[in-house]
Amino acid sequence: MDRVVTMDLRQHNTVLVGHDRFFVFRADNQLQLVRDSCPHRGGPLSLARLTPDGRRLSCPWHGTRVGVAALRRTAVPMVRSGDQATVVLSAVAADAPVSVIRRRILANLPPERQCDTTA
Amino acid sequence: MIVTASLTEAIEAYCGQRIFQAGPRLYIDGNPYHRPIGLAQLDRPDFTAPATEAQFLDPRQLVAGRILCSAYESDMILLPPNGLSSAKDDFDLFYSDEVRRLRDLIRPDLERFAFSFLADSVRVPPVRTLDELQAYFMAEVSAAGSPADDSGNNPLVDGLAPVKGSMRAITECRYAEEAAGLHLIQLALDALTEASAMARNLGGSYGVEQSELFKIFIDEFGYGVYSAKHSTIFRGMLASIGLRTDVHAYWSFYLTSSLVGTNYFNYLTEDHRGMFRYMAAVTYLEWLFAQGFADTGIMLRAVFGDRVDTKYCDEHAHIDIHHGRMTYEKLLLGFARTHGESVIPDLVRGIEETKLLLRLGDADFVAQIRWADTLAEHTTLGAALATAAADEGVAATLRPDDPFWTRVYDTDRLVAVTAGEVDVHAWATPRPHRLGRGDTLLVPRGRLHGLKAASSSATVRVSTVDRSEP
Repeated sequence: MDRVVTMDLRQHNTVLVGHDRFFVFRADNQLQLVRDSCPHRGGPLSLARLTPDGRRLSCPWHGTRVGVAALRRTAVPMVRSGDQATVVLSAVAADAPVSVIRRRILANLPPERQCDTTA
Repeated sequence: MIVTASLTEAIEAYCGQRIFQAGPRLYIDGNPYHRPIGLAQLDRPDFTAPATEAQFLDPRQLVAGRILCSAYESDMILLPPNGLSSAKDDFDLFYSDEVRRLRDLIRPDLERFAFSFLADSVRVPPVRTLDELQAYFMAEVSAAGSPADDSGNNPLVDGLAPVKGSMRAITECRYAEEAAGLHLIQLALDALTEASAMARNLGGSYGVEQSELFKIFIDEFGYGVYSAKHSTIFRGMLASIGLRTDVHAYWSFYLTSSLVGTNYFNYLTEDHRGMFRYMAAVTYLEWLFAQGFADTGIMLRAVFGDRVDTKYCDEHAHIDIHHGRMTYEKLLLGFARTHGESVIPDLVRGIEETKLLLRLGDADFVAQIRWADTLAEHTTLGAALATAAADEGVAATLRPDDPFWTRVYDTDRLVAVTAGEVDVHAWATPRPHRLGRGDTLLVPRGRLHGLKAASSSATVRVSTVDRSEP
């Protein structure tokens, strides 16, 4: 079933749905709620850093490079009204717990400098 | 170090515990606490003088290996998959105050006995700087057949490479399935308690290297998903070819080298002064595992065809490319960057000791499968050597329900059956070699085997033979 979730973007940046996790990702001055899971092994992309060219995220688990465009394609429908956002989550079990929280999102920081990538 | 008499007494008291005595069965299901040690195979249980490299396959190393393995694992939680039921008393004894007291008493001396030869045998090259360490590591992994790929940071894996070394030796065996099974059983010693030694190095506070090790650890544990845990998929591989999956079901069939090799990692993690050697050893192994498990998968498919589940090998052939890079960049070089020359010699020593243990392990395993594969020929050879026995030998009577345990000898021996029939178990799988009355088997030094009566009663005479005589 679909679940509709409302969040205040000043306070929340993460949605937990059962075992799945989504985070608010900023790209091209646009906010999207994207899946917080690396396609390689499920690493937390919210803790990934942008590569120096800003086009990819480097997963903190195995260093897998995930394209920003590919990540944005995982976005769920979201409508904003000021700081209020309403998102629609599809195919969610009726008894799956849903919560909105605030966590540290490294993926929204500026790209790492070249020397940072080997630190 | 405790004085000789009290060390011997403490070892005898430890090994005399019920859980360390043999029972009649070849395999031990549903009871990871029951570990026949076989102290009786030693004429004199004297562990005061450290074993040399030349004594690596002596029975004292086998016995010390079994004791140390039990000692280290009594710090881990082991439970049988189908519940404690009848093993509850053994659980209580394995973790009891008395067994742990004896363990703590004997472990330092046994570690000195078992591992001192590494310091004597290994030559640590004079690597002192970060650049030298990088060059040294890349030269070593290239020499071991696992060079870096074009990126320079990942181990190169060739999934189509013809197998060589011990993997090839397995495929060349007459009883290749038994040989492959024995190989997986040696891996099971460590794989079924996956990363438990690593877990000892997760606590504390030591910077970004600690986080890197933790990432590898969570890979091993399948990100908290039991079905993805590496030990779970290892069990799937064992089950696919009809092998038992309980922890230490094949306790009696671990080779000396397998015990020493696995114990080495517990030894380095139990005493945190060994952490830099451990981190380098893990780096070297993770790097080699990528190609190594690709080779293992190829070998298993060649031996068993489609019926073997090689997911475990496929997983490691993939994930260890990452682990090879992660450990190299973030552990080996990370510690060298942070701590410099004060730790680089220890890092190098860890790699050199691991190289030696791998070499000794390969030699032990290949010698075992070549002997076990040719027991008929060694029976013919034994008959030819029967008149060359150097002593009168020792006679023993065997009955089918006698305790079963395995042993090695420190010299070549002739096992002659003087009455009845005897099964010789040199493979871990149930394919014994039957000896009848009048048969004599040559058992080379260091070869693991167990004897079981195949008739209501049997008598054997074991004598020494010197094959160097003209």
